[in-house]
Amino acid sequence: MPMHCPQSIQRVPPPHGSSAIELRHLSKTFPGGQAPALDDVDLCVPRGGFFGILGPNGAGKTTLMSVLAGLLKPSSGTVRIDGRDGLAERAAIKRILGIVPQEPAIYPTLTARENLDFFGRMQGLAGDLLHARVLACLGLAEMNAEADQRVERLSGGFKRRLNMVIGLIHEPQILILDEPTVAIDPHSRSLIHQRLRELHQAGITILISTHYMEEAEQLCQEIAIIDQGRVLVQGTVPDLLAGQASQTVQIQLTGDPPPDLGPALGHLPGIARATVGGRCVTAVTRHPEQAIPPLLEMLDARGLKVRSLIYGVASLEQVFLRYTGGRSAPR
Amino acid sequence: MTTSLAKFRASVLKDSRVIVRDRQALFLFFVMPVTFVLILSLALRDAFGDRPGTTFPVLVVSQDAGEVGRSVIRTFRDNPHVRLALAETASEAQARQWLIDGHYRFAVLVPAGATEQARRRLGEIIAEVPPDLRLERPVRLRVLADPALRSDYRRVLEGTLDLALHGVEMRLGHEQLDQILRASGGMALPALADMERDRLFDAVHGETITKRGSGPTPTSVQQNAPAWTLLAMFFLTVPLSVSFIKEREQGSLSRLQTINVPAWVVLGGKAVPYFIINQAQMGLVLLVSVHVLPLLGGDRLGMGSAPLALILMGASASLAAIGFGIAVAMFARTTEQAAGFSSAMVMIMGAMGGILVPKQVMPPLMQDFAMLSPLSWGLDGFLDVFVRGGGMPEVLPEALGLLGFSAVCHGIAILRYRRRV
Repeated sequence: MPMHCPQSIQRVPPPHGSSAIELRHLSKTFPGGQAPALDDVDLCVPRGGFFGILGPNGAGKTTLMSVLAGLLKPSSGTVRIDGRDGLAERAAIKRILGIVPQEPAIYPTLTARENLDFFGRMQGLAGDLLHARVLACLGLAEMNAEADQRVERLSGGFKRRLNMVIGLIHEPQILILDEPTVAIDPHSRSLIHQRLRELHQAGITILISTHYMEEAEQLCQEIAIIDQGRVLVQGTVPDLLAGQASQTVQIQLTGDPPPDLGPALGHLPGIARATVGGRCVTAVTRHPEQAIPPLLEMLDARGLKVRSLIYGVASLEQVFLRYTGGRSAPR
Repeated sequence: MTTSLAKFRASVLKDSRVIVRDRQALFLFFVMPVTFVLILSLALRDAFGDRPGTTFPVLVVSQDAGEVGRSVIRTFRDNPHVRLALAETASEAQARQWLIDGHYRFAVLVPAGATEQARRRLGEIIAEVPPDLRLERPVRLRVLADPALRSDYRRVLEGTLDLALHGVEMRLGHEQLDQILRASGGMALPALADMERDRLFDAVHGETITKRGSGPTPTSVQQNAPAWTLLAMFFLTVPLSVSFIKEREQGSLSRLQTINVPAWVVLGGKAVPYFIINQAQMGLVLLVSVHVLPLLGGDRLGMGSAPLALILMGASASLAAIGFGIAVAMFARTTEQAAGFSSAMVMIMGAMGGILVPKQVMPPLMQDFAMLSPLSWGLDGFLDVFVRGGGMPEVLPEALGLLGFSAVCHGIAILRYRRRV
C-alpha cells in the first residue's frame, strides 16, 4: 500500500488507554434554532475502529462532523479526541486528525498536484517528505494521469477522490469523512471503499458519516444511527443485525401498491407494524412463519403480485426503520 | 515561526496562481484604470490648470466706431476665455434671439455714438455742471446673458466689460484734460501712447503657492491619474472579498481552519498578490500618464520630485483597500453580498472623496465630508506630491491615516476569522 513514506511525520504520543473519539452529552443548538441540531449525544469510537454514523439527510451528521473537526463549538458536553480535550488541545488534535468534508474542499483552478502540495505545506510538510506524500496520495486516488490537470476540468468522481486524499496528506491517525461517496460513479465509490479498508487495516481510526445503508454495512465495524440530532442506537453491525433478524419480513412487489396498504397490513394478526415504501413492503413481526400466510393472502386479494420475499435475514435498513419508525428512511 | 513563514509562502503562491489563472479578471484590473485615466484626462483637459479652459461664445454688436466700441472689442478679443463674434448691424431683438437659440452665452450691444455721448458727458462733468442740470445721461451699453451661464462666469464677463469701460473713461479724461491745458496756456499732457509701459502697477498675475515654493497648477491628468488609480485599487476589494466567500463556499477555507494555519497566513496569503497587483496598477497608470497621454494630446503627468513619498502613498492606499476587502469578506455571507456591498461602498467613498467629482468644485460642507473617505486621504497624498511639491513629511499624515484604516480593518477581519472558527 503506497501510504508509507521514506520519512515519517513527527507525531504527538497519544495518552494511553483512551478512545480515539469520545463524546459525552454533546449538544449543539444554532442561534435562532428551535430544536437542537445535536441533542445529548454520547459516542465512543475505539482506537483503530471503523465507525459509521448513519442517518438521513438533516439528521445532524454534518453538525456532528463539524464539531469533531473543530469548526463548530458545542453548546454543551465534552469532546475528547485521542484522549485530548477537543477545545483546549485543538492544536495537538489538528495534527493527528484528517478531515474529509462532504463537498470537495479544493481549489478548482489549481491542479490536483498543486492542491495536494498546498494542503501538504499547510500541514507543515516540506521537501522530500512533501514530495513523497503528494506522489503517494496521487497514487492512492489513482490520479497520476490527472495530476497536472486543473481540478475544475476533472469529473465529480476524481474530485471526490482528491478530496479524500487531501485529508490523508499528513498521514493522520484519525480520519473523519463526511459522506465521502455522495453522487459519485461506481468505480470511484469502489476505489474509495477499498482505500478506506486499507487505511483501517493500517491502523487508522476511521469515522464515516453516510446515509447509504449498504456502505455502512459493508465498511463499518460499529454504527450509530442518528436522527433529529439524537443517537438512537449504537453497536457493532452483527449485534444490530442480530436483534433484528427474526423480526422483519420484506416483500418486493411487481406493481405499485394502493396507499392504504400499509395500515391494512398493520391490522393483520401477528404483525406489529407495516410500512410501504415504493414497491417494498416491510412488516415487523415476532413470528414470521405465522404472519406470512395472511399477509400474502391480503396481497393476492388486492391483485398484487410478489416479486420476492425475504425474512430471517436482517439489513441495516430494517434496523433503521425499527428505530425511526420508518419516519425518514435513508437510501 | 519558520513553519508559519513556509505556510505563508505557500499561501501567497496558491492565491497568486488562483488570480493569475483568471486572465479576464486580471486584464480588467489593469485596463479599467488606464482607460479611465486616458478618457477623463483628455475629456477634462481644459477644466483644470492654466489652460484657457472653458471658452464662452460672446457677441459684441458695436454700432460705435469710436473709443468705446474699439475698447470693448479689444478687451474681449484679448480674453482667452472668450470666443468673440462681432456684428455691427444686428438689432437688440436679433441678439436676444441668438442667445435664446444658444449661439452665444453673453452679448454686449454698444449703441451708435456711444463715444461722442461719453465725451459730451465728460465735458459737462469737467465744466462742473450740476448733476440735475446735465444734458447727457451716462452711456448705457445693453448686456444680455444666457440664464444657463453660471453666475460666477457671468460676473467675470461683466467685470471684463467694466474694466474696458474704466479704461475708456481714463483715456477720454486724459484727452479732455489735455485739450483744456492746451487751450488755457499752451501746455500739454504727455501722450498715453503705451498704456502697458506707462502703467503705475504691474499687471496682476497670481502665483501658485506650493509647499516647496512656486510650481505648476494641477492639470487634468494630475487629478485623474491618482484618482482613478485609487479607485481601481479599492475596486480590487470586490474580487478579493468574493474570492474569500468562494473559498468559504467551496469549503477550502473551512478545511484550512481544521489545520494548524494561523489567521495571518490565510489573510496575508491573499493580501500579498493583491498588493502586488495594486502597485502594478499604479505603475502602469503613471507610465501611461507620463508617456502615452501626451501622444494623444493630453498633458504629461508632472510627477513631482519625491518618488519615495509616491511609493509610500501607493503602499498605504493598497493596504487600506486590501484591509477593507478582507473585512467585507469576513462579514458578507454570499458572493453577491460581498460584491454588491464592496462595489457600492467604493463608489460612495469615491464620490465623497473627490475621485468622481473633484473636491475643489464641492461646496464647503461636502469638502468637510470628503475627509471621512480614505480615498480622499489617498488623493490628497498624491496631490501633495504631484501638485504641491510635497515629500515624505507632507504625505505622512495621509499615509498614516490609510495605514491606520488598514490596521483597523485587518484587526476586525482577524478577530472575525477566529470567531468564525
